[in-house]
Amino acid sequence: MSELILLLIGAILVNNFVLVQFLGLCPFMGTSRKIETAIGMAAASTFVLTLSAMLSYLIYHYLLIPLGIPWLRTIAFIVLIAAIVNLTEIIMSATSPLLHRVLGIFLPLITSNCAVLGVALLNINQARSFIEATVFGFGAALGFSLVLILFAALRERLDHADVPEPFRGPAIAMISAGLMSLAFMGFTGLVQV
Amino acid sequence: MSLFGGIVLALLLLALFCGLTLAYTAQKFSQQDTSLVDQINALLPQTQCAQCSYPGCRPYAEAIAQGEAINKCPPGGEQTISLLANLLDQEKVALDSNYGQQGPVKKAFIREQDCIGCTFCIQACPVDAIVGAPQQMHTVIADECTGCELCLPPCPVDCIDLIALPETELSLPAKSLTEQACIRCGLCVDACPVDLLPQQLYSFIQGKAYEKAASHHLEDCIECGLCHAVCPSHIPLVQYYQLGKSVLQHQDEQFQLAHHAQERFQQHEKRLARLNAEQERQRQARSKLAANAAAQRELIRAALSRARGRQQGDQQ
Repeated sequence: MSELILLLIGAILVNNFVLVQFLGLCPFMGTSRKIETAIGMAAASTFVLTLSAMLSYLIYHYLLIPLGIPWLRTIAFIVLIAAIVNLTEIIMSATSPLLHRVLGIFLPLITSNCAVLGVALLNINQARSFIEATVFGFGAALGFSLVLILFAALRERLDHADVPEPFRGPAIAMISAGLMSLAFMGFTGLVQV
Repeated sequence: MSLFGGIVLALLLLALFCGLTLAYTAQKFSQQDTSLVDQINALLPQTQCAQCSYPGCRPYAEAIAQGEAINKCPPGGEQTISLLANLLDQEKVALDSNYGQQGPVKKAFIREQDCIGCTFCIQACPVDAIVGAPQQMHTVIADECTGCELCLPPCPVDCIDLIALPETELSLPAKSLTEQACIRCGLCVDACPVDLLPQQLYSFIQGKAYEKAASHHLEDCIECGLCHAVCPSHIPLVQYYQLGKSVLQHQDEQFQLAHHAQERFQQHEKRLARLNAEQERQRQARSKLAANAAAQRELIRAALSRARGRQQGDQQ
């Protein structure tokens, strides 16, 4: 049990996918202008990440290994992730059209979010069990959500701060992201994964 | 099993599984939700002026929901664009000048001595704001007019003028000589008797984020002036709050006007539908009558020819 908790905390804070491993930066910069949007994106990514971590494990161990083609995993995972993202998009366009419109291109872009594929491949590389793989995927998703929402809150404050003219907009956002990343460096050594 | 067979089988199974799941979900979640269109439509000025190249406000709202640009509404202008940008989390953009310029709010006014009573403008008005009858002078109900300009082109004698309403200028207070930048000392927060965050409200209003100021309870400010009195930078905070309140009030009035215009437009549409149905009914009644008359004539003709035949038979 404590193993799993360590794995979870490790994925959220120590090896945070966005700020420490620099994966999934596209939605991190693109959907963090408003907290509501960021929360929507966080929920969608959490759904995709957790589900793809689970299903990719099952597909690898019960389809690719028995057929003797484990090296086909990248293609298989991408097909799977694309399907899950499509699923998310269908559900979202029916349940929350506003969020669907607001997220726009960033929703299908979850497919190319390297954090999603990264989690699936890391799970295979580190030979985790099914439960561990799921927890790791969920932890990665929580870490992504945490920094995305924190960053959106920062940017909302930045909107009304008197930032020097040349730094307005994306420039100050990049600098803030860098500072957040520095802060997350402080978690190194909190737990060893 | 050959390697190639394994690859084909694996991808086939995977694709089949994904495809079936997606098809099932698409089936399950197929109902269309119109709440987004309603939300967008509520922010449009409801003049139904069609300057955006769509036939009315709702069609434009539907187009925006599908990804159309938000800067095609001249009557709404900057305010509508900023509200839409906020709703859809987009960059604020300038009004597209291909669709018109944002001007002051206008009302149509009919020069009554020139009006010939042709009723063309009455038919053009989307909110039924013009009263009159054939060969009678028309006039505009000023409160109902949205200034959409749709009555101008049909008028054969050009007797309709658009009169701009005087606008109230809402701008940030001028900087006084003693005023300095906010140093975020927080003295105003301690001073505020109604527990607001004066410095936060100030930065929202300065950044024109009036919605956020409202969500931080700007309307609870009693304008006592204590924040101004304690401010070491001598910022005229109360003036900012007054500005914010008047902008929000103005916005609220605009929403109410838009809502009212929308209701008038819906009534107008209903009236037209009723009129069309009535005309259609009359047309059908007339064609039925005509058909009856034709059948009757046919009967008479047949009877006549029979009678004539009999006469000829008698003579022979």
